[in-house]
Amino acid sequence: MSWPIYLALKQLFPTGRRFPFFTFISILGVALGVTLLIVSISVMGGFGREIRTMIVHTQGEVQVRAAGLMENPGAVMDAVKTVRGVVAATPFAEGVVMIKRDRQPAFPAIQGVDMDRVDEVVPLRRYIIAGDFEDLDDDRVILSSQLAISIGARIGDTVMVYSPLLLEKLQADEVLMPRELEVCGIFEIGHQQLDSSVVIVTLRTMQELYGLGRAVHGVNVRLAPGADPDRVAREINRVLPVNGFAKSWMDANSEFLFVLQLEKNMIFFLLLFIIVVAAFSVASSLLIAVVRKTREIGLLGALGASPRQVAACFCYQGIIIGVTGTALGLALGFTVVHFRNHLVAGFTRLTGSQEALERFYQFSQLPAHLSGKDLALIVCSALVVSTLAGLLPAWRAAKLKPVEALRSE
Amino acid sequence: MSMMPILQATSLHKSYLSGERHIEVLRGVDLVVAAGESVSIRGESGSGKSTLLNLLSGLDAPDSGELRWEGEASLTPVRRGRLLGLVFQAFYLVPELDAEANVLLAARLVGKVGEPERARARELLRRVGLAERAQHVPAKLSGGERQRVAIARALMNRPRLILADEPTGNLDEGSGDAIIDLLLSLGREEGCALVLVTHNAAHAARCARRLFLREGGFHAA
Repeated sequence: MSWPIYLALKQLFPTGRRFPFFTFISILGVALGVTLLIVSISVMGGFGREIRTMIVHTQGEVQVRAAGLMENPGAVMDAVKTVRGVVAATPFAEGVVMIKRDRQPAFPAIQGVDMDRVDEVVPLRRYIIAGDFEDLDDDRVILSSQLAISIGARIGDTVMVYSPLLLEKLQADEVLMPRELEVCGIFEIGHQQLDSSVVIVTLRTMQELYGLGRAVHGVNVRLAPGADPDRVAREINRVLPVNGFAKSWMDANSEFLFVLQLEKNMIFFLLLFIIVVAAFSVASSLLIAVVRKTREIGLLGALGASPRQVAACFCYQGIIIGVTGTALGLALGFTVVHFRNHLVAGFTRLTGSQEALERFYQFSQLPAHLSGKDLALIVCSALVVSTLAGLLPAWRAAKLKPVEALRSE
Repeated sequence: MSMMPILQATSLHKSYLSGERHIEVLRGVDLVVAAGESVSIRGESGSGKSTLLNLLSGLDAPDSGELRWEGEASLTPVRRGRLLGLVFQAFYLVPELDAEANVLLAARLVGKVGEPERARARELLRRVGLAERAQHVPAKLSGGERQRVAIARALMNRPRLILADEPTGNLDEGSGDAIIDLLLSLGREEGCALVLVTHNAAHAARCARRLFLREGGFHAA
C-alpha cells in the first residue's frame, strides 16, 4: 500500500480510536445522499416501468393507423407479419359513445377488439377484476372500474349505448335505437384516465355502432422479446399496403415519456445537491485538517514526501469517504427499497392515510425499479463529487513549504 | 569508509526581510561534517541556529553559498529522507499513528515497508527503551518518550547524518540528558554523524566539535 493511502486511512480511522466522529459524519452525509437517490430513482423507475407496461399492454408495442379508415385490415396484418420481430397483430376500432344506466350518463372512449386475436397482442384479461373476459360477445360490454362505479353498473346490468351514428341518422330523418348491452366484466388497469372512461366491446359491435362496415381504425402489433419497437415501426412503414403509418409505443407517447424522464432527471438533479452539500462539508473538514496538521504536513515534506504525494494523501481521504459513503448509501438504499411497502404501510397506519393513498395514487404497493444505467450514474456522481471535495484541501496541503509549515504555530 | 564529507557548507548567506529591514542572519558560514563526527552548534536565541539547520537539511535554500551532501549539490525529498535523520524540538509525531508506525513512517515515505523494516523499527524502539510501548499513540507517551520515538524515526533509514534542532528544548533536565546520551550512543552505533543545535552548554560539550554561532558566523565555543 502506498503511504498516501496508508496515511489517509490512518487519519480517517486513527489507531486506538473506536469512533472517529469527523469521519463518521462525513461518510454519513454522502451515504444519506446516495440512499435518497437510490430510493427516489428506484420508485420513479418503478412507476415509469408500470406505466410503460400498462401502455404496451393496452396498445401493443407498435400501432398502425390508417389515414381515415382501414378498409382491409387483413391485408395490413399480413404485411405487418412479414416484418422481422413481429409476433402477432390484431385490428381495433375506437371512438366515443354516450353510455347510460337508469339516469346516469357517461361519455367514455370505446374500444372494439377482435376476440379471436386480441389475446395474442394485448393481455386485457389480466386486468379483469369482476366477470369474465370470455363472456364478451356482440351483446355484451366490459366497463372500466371507475366508470362502472360512476353509473352504478354491476355484472349482469344492462346499459344503453348511444353512438354518433344516431345523430347522423337523425339528420337524415331516420331513427336508430340505442344499443342495449349487458355488462359482463369490469377491468382496472391502474391508470386513472383509462379506469374512469373506457368501455370494451367486440370489434363487430363497434363496427355496427359506428357504421364502419368491415373497416377498422388500426392494428395493434406485438413484438418478440428484445425487438426494437422503433426499428420494427420503420420497417412496417416500408411494407404497408395502405396509406397509413406505424408508430412505436415510445413514439406515440413521446411527450408523456419525456415528462416522465424530465421528472426523474429533476429529482436526480435536486437530490444530487444533498451529496454536493455533504461534499462541501467534507471539503471544509479536510481544509480544517490541513490547517490543524500544518506542522505534520511540514514533517512529511521534511522526511521525504513530495508535494504531489502530500496532495494525494488528502485526495485519498475524499475518495475513501466517497467510496465508503457510497457503499453505505447503497446498502441503506437497497434495504429501504426492499422494505418500502412495509415502511409505507407503517407510515399510512400511523397517519391513517392508507385509503387516501390508494384513492389518489391508485396503488397499495410501491413499485420500484433501478436500471443499471441509473445505478452507475448515482455511484459515479457520488464518487466524482466526493473526490472533488478532496481536491481543494489537497491543493492547499501541496502548496505548504515544509520549512514554513514546521515553523507554523 | 569514504573520505568525502557527509556535509559541506561553503560561505552560506541567508537574510530575511522584517518589515522594511533586511536582517542578515548568516554571513558566510562554512561547515564541514565528516562521517561519524559529532558537532554541536550553540548560540543565543535569534542567532540563526535553526535557520542554519534548515539550510543544512535542504528544507530552505541559502541566498548565496554552496551546500553539498556526500558531494552532490542536489537533495531531492527522497534523498533527504534516506541521507538525513531529522530530530525536532517539538517531536512532530503523527498523532494518529502508534509509536511503531511513527518510526516506520520514515521508511514508508522513501520506499516500501516489509518485514525487515518492521523488524528494524521494533529493534530501534527496543534500543530507545520503548519496546513495551510500541503500540501506544503519542498522546499516551510522555515528552521524553515521544522524543525517543522521534530519534528512532530519525535512525530508521540508516541515515549518514542526524540533524537535531534543540531536541531537549521541551524536556526536563533529566529527560534531556537521557535524550542526548541516546543520540550520541545510537549515532555512534549506527555510524552516522550528528549535528546538534542546542543552547545547553553541557549538552554541547558532549560533542566532539563545538561551534558557537554569533553575528552570522561561527566562533570558537
